Amino acid sequence: MSTRIASTFAGLVALAGVSLAASPAALAHHSYAMFDMQATKTITGTVKDFEWTNPHTWLWVYVTNASGAQEQWGIEGMSPNFLGRRGWSRNTLKPGDKITVDIHPLRNGERGGSFLSVTLPDGKVMRMSGEALRAEAAGKAGDPKP
Amino acid sequence: MRYSDLWKAAGIVLLGVVTSSVAGVPGAPKANDYAGIAKLPDFAGVWELVFSPPRGGGGPPEQPALTPEYTAKLKAYQAAGHQDNPTANCLPPGMPQIMNQPYPIEFLMTPGKITLVIEAYSQTRRIFTDGRKHPDDPDPTFNGHSIGHWEGDTLIVDSVAFSTDTPMAQSWGVRHSDKMRIEERFRLTGPDTMEIVTTVSDPLALTKPFTSTKTLARHRDWDIAEYVCEQNNRNTVTDDGKAGINLNH
Repeated sequence: MSTRIASTFAGLVALAGVSLAASPAALAHHSYAMFDMQATKTITGTVKDFEWTNPHTWLWVYVTNASGAQEQWGIEGMSPNFLGRRGWSRNTLKPGDKITVDIHPLRNGERGGSFLSVTLPDGKVMRMSGEALRAEAAGKAGDPKP
Repeated sequence: MRYSDLWKAAGIVLLGVVTSSVAGVPGAPKANDYAGIAKLPDFAGVWELVFSPPRGGGGPPEQPALTPEYTAKLKAYQAAGHQDNPTANCLPPGMPQIMNQPYPIEFLMTPGKITLVIEAYSQTRRIFTDGRKHPDDPDPTFNGHSIGHWEGDTLIVDSVAFSTDTPMAQSWGVRHSDKMRIEERFRLTGPDTMEIVTTVSDPLALTKPFTSTKTLARHRDWDIAEYVCEQNNRNTVTDDGKAGINLNH
């Protein structure tokens, strides 16, 4: 994680709860209210597809569940614009890659979540600035009290 | 050549004169107009908002002071329990929030105009610096109508004519009227840093103007990238604020 992102996190947290128009804690696209931003879930599986698309990247992973059946998970990540400037590319994740992914799971129990980080087949960990996401969500929750 | 052909030829010449004089009105720069740009502060290039802690420890940023009418709108919005806002459906947030996105903005300086190419939602703002006034009765738009002038090294931009479909603040419950006016003061604070001081006023929504300050950093090795929000948008929000997500793939 770059120091820039780290300072982003610090700044956003400092503003959380009081953020409003004066705060730069703006969400690019949508609220994270549908994700449980307090919970982290780890899933291990095989990449089906990595959609390098706006407004979000989407990682689709096949996961074998406890009863041996294959399930598909959909994981929403930051945009290619954001990630492409921070060390990611459309080839970071390829179909067939065996990976482990940390996510904030969907609150409604469906098989999806918000992308935090991934451990690649070679052991390298790629972060998706989960701190920034969390801070953005905190900022988003800070609707003003009239 | 017959007379009719002569008249036709004369007409074509006349048309050519008219066309070229139309092309010569303000807004169509001539090559030598570009020389003047070199004398202005160099805003050109790709900039991105710097997210940093509030400076000086002077407490939280100033908040909009809403009138009772607009406080009631906000309370109603909050009571309705909106899970998300229309940006989830790819609607841009309009001014002033389009200037607060975590995506870069390219400044293009041409004679009589500064153009902001905003990556988020593929938006564009045109700031006319050719001395024109705002139109008498402009159509309201998401990003408004902007005119600017220089005072020393500061570009001062006045914007009016905003659609009331968009919020005034990060929360879509904070609304503005069609009388909202935004002043932005842009100036370089270093070789690759820019400060924007934004003052929003609205005689119907605010009891007093409020001001915020942000810093941008220039990224000389960046270009603006494509951002087609509708490409693969799996988020949805209903008119009453219920959020959804599409996991079909």
